[in-house]
Amino acid sequence: MMAAMPGDRDSAWWWAGLAAHRLMLQRCVQCGTLRWPPRAMCGVCGAFDTAEVQASGRGQVASWIVTQRAFLPHLKPPYVVLLVRLADQEDLLLPGGWDGPPDASGLRIGLEVRAGFTDADAGPDLTLLRWRPAGEERP
Amino acid sequence: MSLRDQAAIAGVGWAGYSKDSGVSTLTLALRAIRAALDDAGLDHAAVDGVATHGVGDSTPATVVAAALGLRDVRFIMDQVGGGGLSATAVGHAAMAVAVGQADAVVVWRALNARSEFRMGGTGRAAPALAEFQYQVPYGYLAPPQQFAMVARAYLDTGRVNEKVLGTVALTQRAYAERNPRAMMRVPITMEDYLASPWVAEPLRRLDCCLESDAAVALVVTSTARAAALRQPAVLVSGFATGAGMTLYNTGRTTLIPSPARDLAPRLYASAGIGPADVDIAELYDAFTFLVPLQLEDYGLVPAGEVGPFILDGGTGPGGRLPVNTHGGHLSEGYVHGLNHVAEAVTQLRGSAEDRQVPGAAVALVSSQPGYVGGATSALILRRAA
Repeated sequence: MMAAMPGDRDSAWWWAGLAAHRLMLQRCVQCGTLRWPPRAMCGVCGAFDTAEVQASGRGQVASWIVTQRAFLPHLKPPYVVLLVRLADQEDLLLPGGWDGPPDASGLRIGLEVRAGFTDADAGPDLTLLRWRPAGEERP
Repeated sequence: MSLRDQAAIAGVGWAGYSKDSGVSTLTLALRAIRAALDDAGLDHAAVDGVATHGVGDSTPATVVAAALGLRDVRFIMDQVGGGGLSATAVGHAAMAVAVGQADAVVVWRALNARSEFRMGGTGRAAPALAEFQYQVPYGYLAPPQQFAMVARAYLDTGRVNEKVLGTVALTQRAYAERNPRAMMRVPITMEDYLASPWVAEPLRRLDCCLESDAAVALVVTSTARAAALRQPAVLVSGFATGAGMTLYNTGRTTLIPSPARDLAPRLYASAGIGPADVDIAELYDAFTFLVPLQLEDYGLVPAGEVGPFILDGGTGPGGRLPVNTHGGHLSEGYVHGLNHVAEAVTQLRGSAEDRQVPGAAVALVSSQPGYVGGATSALILRRAA
């Protein structure tokens, strides 16, 4: 399952951006509304003309879970998954990993986080989002 | 033109429950449909419409129609989706009957959700929803995980806590003790609940619905025709459907309230009633926390009072608003919401025996309140005068 980069005809470019350690969004050229995940039309104004822009990489924890039983053979529990609300626009909610302890200590709803990227664990061709507290510097 | 009270549920049938039916979803569907037709006193040749839904885990409606021997099928609905659509299937059947497209529609949901296609992902590929590509790589794919994300946000409001969620589980088990059809009838305590292992924090195993093999079927026909049939007619008095919340940004910025909040005013308007008129509520309960959340979002209990309301027995036997009187998905079994419709019909007929709510005349039946699948829907059913 993890051998190939995920994605479809709408999203392949977005996954390629993530592989280059860039969190990308679409921006409607007509009305400026940001959108994610990628798709052809702006749901606000109806325009198809779209620009690809880089997100700020800043967000807030909207929620999180700690998975305590195995759902996929290669992922050993416990592990944390976040839902992050991007600072760029308040209705952009992205799942992502947590660059912190697997017991989720230190996590709370509203915590300011910053996007990081990981090429490890998930497979050779797959880069995933891994969020860390906004104040923490990492190499 | 309004849908209100134009169609009725004239028959109800079950096949199951078990952990391993040993038969196909086609056979389950046919058994439940046959039972529903027998309940209504109709021959299968009277059926001219079919309606179901699924997530790639059941037999297509057209295959069931052929197996029923139907040649002139005048209405076919086979919608892709899960728990948000059980009320939709009934509502669309009622609409087909109301406009004269069909005379007798069978509505069913048949699934081997334990022995063949588990919702947690084993036994089949994950549903081919585009948004899954953004979740599965993080190990985030099973319903308990997706709903745990919502539950965390709800608990964070401070309006409910684990004792409230535990009380939902205990209360529904108490109903199931009075329901011979229920899979889980052994009483549980708060200690049992709190000791129940985490599946995905903040949800424990006892927060999660059962996984079962079963089918439920209903017969929907015109109110006039239903009045001449064997059982007391239960009217489809109100119906509403609405968009849900997925990863696709649609202006929704928070997980709480649920999309059912937007649906509720239209639902009540369609039936010409208000929340105070509801006698019983059968609320979609794939997970415990969805019960208090929907009590709030359907305006059945003021938001700040839902915790004490549940802790004080307001939803239990003899409470002000009995909820999930069959035990729900937590203790009766899991038929993706259609068993909630069947229970409402049973209560409104007055035939729920040991668990009958005295004088139940109006029921609200909800489908999943709009997470993950992107749809929600609900019904108001009432006893014919």
